[in-house]
Order: sequence, then structure tokens, then C-alpha cells
Amino acid sequence: MVLAGILSKETAVIAVPVVTLILGLLIGWLGQRSGFCSIGGFRDFFMLKHTRLLYGYLALIIGAFAGYLIFKIVFPSAFEGFFWLMGKGLMPVPGAPANLTVTAYIVLALIGGIAVGLIGVLLGGCPLRQVVMTAEGNVKSLCFVIGMCAGSVIYTMWVSGWGVALLKAAGIA
Amino acid sequence: MHMAEIKNIPDEKKSGLDALARNPLWVGLAIGILAAVIQLLLISAGGPEAYGFCVACHTRDVVNIAVNDIAGTKLAVAPLSQNAILPVLTVIGVLIGAWVSARYYEEFRTKTGSAASYLWYLLGGLLFMIFALFMGGCPYRMGLRIGYGDVVAFIGVIAIVIGVLIGIQVATKLAEREG
Repeated sequence: MVLAGILSKETAVIAVPVVTLILGLLIGWLGQRSGFCSIGGFRDFFMLKHTRLLYGYLALIIGAFAGYLIFKIVFPSAFEGFFWLMGKGLMPVPGAPANLTVTAYIVLALIGGIAVGLIGVLLGGCPLRQVVMTAEGNVKSLCFVIGMCAGSVIYTMWVSGWGVALLKAAGIA
Repeated sequence: MHMAEIKNIPDEKKSGLDALARNPLWVGLAIGILAAVIQLLLISAGGPEAYGFCVACHTRDVVNIAVNDIAGTKLAVAPLSQNAILPVLTVIGVLIGAWVSARYYEEFRTKTGSAASYLWYLLGGLLFMIFALFMGGCPYRMGLRIGYGDVVAFIGVIAIVIGVLIGIQVATKLAEREG
């Protein structure tokens, strides 16, 4: 079965930039008003016992689950993989380097997650917060976003290949 | 970090809608549901699933396609962005939306730092992107993937929490050393 949404493929390929731009505008406004931050949520909870931002991140997970569940009932072909664990087991949703073993994906999630959490806390926020702070006039956050752009090219050109080679050499890929 | 709670909003700009927008609980719920709407609308253009919102991957798609167009490279992006006439523009939307909002509520302030801090943020953003892409997304897409039923994403968020706890220790040590 091929994944198919409400829009046909011909319409969807044109709609992608328009719909995501509108989504971004909305999230930019909401993020600016609320100071929404995932990593900040964990940090504030552990450092100050503040739950305000943490509940926001948990609400995102619950909102996504509820959205996927309800839309799957209404329009199943757009959500073929939901609920992922029941159909595909432990293999993750595609997005990380392709064609690895479950063990390798868990190792990548652990290493990637720890690094992401550490960097996020030391530099004052997750990538959404950095993009929003950039728009609020923070030059340091602008540097973070430029670094992300450079990191994207460096990752795709070299580092992802090195990482996969390393996992294979270690016998877990 | 708790600017949102102590914002002084001019009376004429106070509204019920703004009160909702300032509450992360509603914002998170909205982002989660919107991500599912995005998949409902756009998935015919290509996968992956649970891809409605991701600051790392969506930035990668825009940057890599721009570099491909300019330099003639063939850097990989998500099938959704590859097939579409233009890649996902979410992050550009966030920049514009947040800027308009900051201007409207008079919260735009140019904040500069030292040259050294700029270098640290540049390096931090670079490394953040690399590790996020190895994990298969930023913390937001990890949240969407958990909602989609992905156990590895749950392990990823546990790892993020561990990273945050280590980061708090490091930040505390650094603060003590600087007196």
C-alpha cells in the first residue's frame, strides 16, 4: 500500500512549500509568544521544578498521538504506519541513516540524544527556541542557526557516511 | 528564560487568543495536532511519516536543496522535499512568524555577544545538527515519532534527558569556576 493523503500527488508536490510555510508562520507566532522549548522544559523541571514548558512538550506528544489516531480512523491511507510498534516492531520511523540494524538505531538515538540535550542546555535552548530567538534579534542564536545550516551540509557530505562506517566496523550496523 | 511569564503587554494588544498563545500547554497540543494535519495533507508527495514538524530535518531539506541548486551537488533530503516543487519551508515560516510577532508585541531586541560566544554558538549549532540528524530528528520530531508509536524515538528522548542532566552539572561547574 502506498501512503496517500487527502491531496493527490500532483497537488501535494505543489502544496508542500505553501502548507509548510503557513505551518511555520503559525508555529513562529506561537513559539514567540510562549517561549516554547523542549530542552528548556527538561532543564527548568530538573533545575527549578518548573513544569510550564515541560507540560508543553508532553502536550505535543499527546496532541500528535491524538491527531494521528483520529485522522487514521478518518483517512487510514495517510497513516499506514500508525501505530508503528504494532506493525513494524522496534525498527524506527525512517529519517536517520537508512538500512541499519535496530541495535545501531538505538546506539545512534542514545549518542545523538545525549549530545543534543547537552548542547541544548549549555547554549540555552533547543533549535526551535534558537530560531525564535534569532527572529527576536539575538545574534548568538543567529550564529547557532548558521551553524545548523553548515552542519547539515557537513553531515550529509561526510559525517553520516563516517558514522555508518564506524557502526559497521564495530559490528552493530 | 521565563520572559513569557513576566512580559508587559500593552493593554490594547491583550487578547484571549494571546493568552492561549502564551501558554506552552496549548502551543504544544496545537503543534502536535498540526503535524498530523500536515501528514494528512502532504503525505502523497512522499515520506517519511511523522515528519510534520522538525527544526533539524526541515532545515536540512531547505539548505541541502539550496546547495544542490547552487553547487550542482546531490545532497540527500527527505523524499517529500525531493519530490515537491520547493522543499518544506517550515523553518523560514518560523523565522518570519516569530519576527512579525516580536515586532508587533514590541519584544524585538538586538542582543549581541562576544566574538568568542559567536564561535561557540556556531560550533554548537553545527554539532547539534549532526547529532540530531544521526538520531533522525530534533526533539520535536522525536515527540511526533513517539506519538506515532516509535520506541527508538522514546529511547532518544530518554537520552536527551540524560544529556540535559549532564549539561546542568557542567553548567553548574562552569558557573562555580567563574565565581
